[in-house]
Amino acid sequence: MDEKVLTRHFGVEGLFRIDVYRGQGGYRAVETALKRMTPAAVLDEVKRASLRGRGGAGFPAGVKWGFVPQNVPKPRYLCVNADEGEPGTFKDRYLMNHNPHLLLEGTIIASYAVGIHAAFIYVRGEYEAVALRLEGAIAEAYRNGYLGKNILGTGFDLDVAVHRGAGAYICGEETALLESLEGKRGHPRLKPPFPASVGLFQCPTVINNVETLSNIPFIVQNGAGWFLKRGLPKDGGTRIFGVSGMVKKPGIYELPLGTKLRTIIFDHAGGMKEGKQLKAVIPGGMSAPILTADEIDLPMDFDSLAGAGSMLGSAAVIVIDRETSILDVLKAVAKFYSHESCGQCTPCRIGTAWINKIVKRLARGEGEQDDIDAIVRLATNIKGKTLCPLGDAAALPILSICQKFRRELEGYLPHA
Amino acid sequence: MPKIFIDDRAVEVAEGLTLLQAAESVGIPIPHFCYHPAFPPEGSCRMCLVEIEGLPKLELACSTVVKEGLRVRTMSPKVVEARKSVLEFLLAEHPLDCPICDKAGECKLQDYFEEYGLFKSQFKEAKEKREKKFKLGRNLILDRERCILCTRCVRFLNEITKTEDAGILNRGIHSEVGIFESEFIDNNYSGNLAQICPVGAITDTDFRFKTRVWFLESRESICPLCSRGCNIIMDSHAGYPRTLPTRRVYRVRARQNLDVNFHWICDYGRYGYAYLDEGREDRLVWKKGDRETRLSWDKAAQILSEKIRSLVHLRKNSRIGIVLHTNLTNEELFLADRVFRKGLGVEKLFLADPPPGKGDEFLLTADRTANRRGLQEVGLPVQAPDLKALSGLDLLLIFGHYLAAGTSPSDLKNALEKVETKALFASHKSGLDGLVDFVIPVPVIAEKNGSLTNIDGRVQPFVAGLSFAGDGIAEWRALLDLARELKVEHKYFSRLASPEAIYRALRKEIPFFK
Repeated sequence: MDEKVLTRHFGVEGLFRIDVYRGQGGYRAVETALKRMTPAAVLDEVKRASLRGRGGAGFPAGVKWGFVPQNVPKPRYLCVNADEGEPGTFKDRYLMNHNPHLLLEGTIIASYAVGIHAAFIYVRGEYEAVALRLEGAIAEAYRNGYLGKNILGTGFDLDVAVHRGAGAYICGEETALLESLEGKRGHPRLKPPFPASVGLFQCPTVINNVETLSNIPFIVQNGAGWFLKRGLPKDGGTRIFGVSGMVKKPGIYELPLGTKLRTIIFDHAGGMKEGKQLKAVIPGGMSAPILTADEIDLPMDFDSLAGAGSMLGSAAVIVIDRETSILDVLKAVAKFYSHESCGQCTPCRIGTAWINKIVKRLARGEGEQDDIDAIVRLATNIKGKTLCPLGDAAALPILSICQKFRRELEGYLPHA
Repeated sequence: MPKIFIDDRAVEVAEGLTLLQAAESVGIPIPHFCYHPAFPPEGSCRMCLVEIEGLPKLELACSTVVKEGLRVRTMSPKVVEARKSVLEFLLAEHPLDCPICDKAGECKLQDYFEEYGLFKSQFKEAKEKREKKFKLGRNLILDRERCILCTRCVRFLNEITKTEDAGILNRGIHSEVGIFESEFIDNNYSGNLAQICPVGAITDTDFRFKTRVWFLESRESICPLCSRGCNIIMDSHAGYPRTLPTRRVYRVRARQNLDVNFHWICDYGRYGYAYLDEGREDRLVWKKGDRETRLSWDKAAQILSEKIRSLVHLRKNSRIGIVLHTNLTNEELFLADRVFRKGLGVEKLFLADPPPGKGDEFLLTADRTANRRGLQEVGLPVQAPDLKALSGLDLLLIFGHYLAAGTSPSDLKNALEKVETKALFASHKSGLDGLVDFVIPVPVIAEKNGSLTNIDGRVQPFVAGLSFAGDGIAEWRALLDLARELKVEHKYFSRLASPEAIYRALRKEIPFFK
């Protein structure tokens, strides 16, 4: 069984063009869904496929769609979260660059299932080439009757537009994304209400990650059972792992959910670079708590990683070798979250900056005895107390680094 | 009404309240910075986090709506710890310049630290350096080091004045409140920003560095500067240390009344308090030619009553004129009607008011007097102060100094010269002083008891927030004294010995005031 689903045709020359994409079976799922299925049947199929969100939180996509109220007079919107900003994560960029029509196809089917007639693709600001590619694909889709009025003669209408962000990490948080899309400052909103009921322009809104939506055509075309077989019972499908760091072959690897971390690093990514030894792995993007070299026999799925105190997140595997100082890792993490904190809520705004100041001082060789305790205390005070998940995203990796590599960090403290 | 449990206390609270409001309604305060009752919850300061049974994380009291059976803990160790940590974060980057901060003494950050903080600072890093005296508006200075980014100011400008002048600039630790460089907060409600700032970030140049808030005595009053009748608090110096011996009121603030002015007052009312001390009449004098004699009100009342009595006796009631104004209280207007019109048969009642100004869409009305509606409801038939009608009278009692406005000084002089006896009851000096025989100082609204009827017909009682010093007499008292001297309906007026008693009569006799 060929394991690859999303990246299967990546090698095909010109896949981003609609004729090539159709030559590989593209847009058949749209025909299937729009012509032979009711929206409820599509929704049901996606629910049964146990497709969990690929953006990081892992929320079941079908359940999310089901939250959207159908009996309100307001329009409903779909926002494609293509603001891929998590350090270590680059899978969506590949997906959109190589196979933009797959995302569009998923977008059309999702919109059909939820009764949506306007979708926005919010693309990370730095992804200029991706945005251009998407715009080209959208134009092709309009010309070929897959977008616009009366799609394929079914009476279903959908417009899709690309919106480029301005480069803030926080805009990947779904409510900050909505604010940004509305033309405001990208500040997360208080929840509840959740976007499913009050989202873009105060209307019911579905927000899905690029990879999540790219899976939809396969579920529709092959059925939930087929999809489930490619993953785990509660966790359907494959996952695109973005491996970076000190491995021989960094890149994206589409593998079944539940593949062992060791297998990903040593079999697929070619193992450690010459002469390098594994020290630690960040398994799900920078916000995931760090794993030591002893913990890599874990299966890579949402529940196993959660059980190990980390998270699958965006499945971005960052491989760290022994020569890399853990203080440098901590420095990078602390600096990133301090820089990307939107500044709206107190613990994140001041806490991340405070930690960053301590870490910088440590790195200058001006550490004090209680610095590590202070970092742990501050991160604990951020954890669970912020307005949006960015606080936890900062606190959890910092706490795990301080806990698992405390002895190494203590080496940077002045000797009493 | 959902029943909830706050700290194990079962309470029934109104549907739709947030936990913070519900707790407040039963006397359990939950600390907060960004929450303000005028705005939807913001949830950014994280100070109001409480523990809700069954939920793993602490939840916001400001945005969680009550539900039947909810069990909340507002003082559990987890909550107390969380509050402490929010304070620790805020104070880490705070300049701690309380000794030179005008907000000290009424600062939420200070108060909460005393109550929930009391930790020793563990912040060893360099604090962010920020602008400390950014001119934000006409009367507003922004200290960005003190700012805790609660965004109350931003939301006020977005939602109340809808001028959208300010926003948050930059990001993360560099976030700061800012306005467009070319602009400047200049609207008639800007003073509210300093009042709603929970810390010392926005201060008011009118109040800045003038005194300490703990020297101030806060008294409730009604703003008399337009017909809205906004509820206010006057902060005045009771005594030591009076840096400026001529100044009593240091600050006027909005007092919440959701039926009248919500949480706000306009700048016209806020900064317009100088009249309380400036240009006041302070000596009761009797002028004969160039000679001025000081006398007591009792003596003046005797002389004036004698004059009135003789005119009434000679059936010359029509040669008596009374000039009124609509900054008199309901009680005073009622008494003027009962004493002069009904009691003495005086028909020449005039009205001289300050000229109208420009109103706005929100609180400030074009009518710059406090009680026009009261005059209407009391039903006093008044006429415009036609100078021809005035001249040739034998006695003119002028209430208020407004007659001088809107008439040419020489015409007024000519007209009044033809009046035999003229008494002026005025709070402020004016061109009339030199044209009358008696000058009798009277208190302003802030210095007496009574009630006013605002533009919407809301009757608002008030008590004196400031003492009325020196010679002189409150108008209601003067009217009662004249009635007593003249023995007008003795039994009736003897029962009306206070504004409260007068108001009771008003309620009994005029249906509107019921």
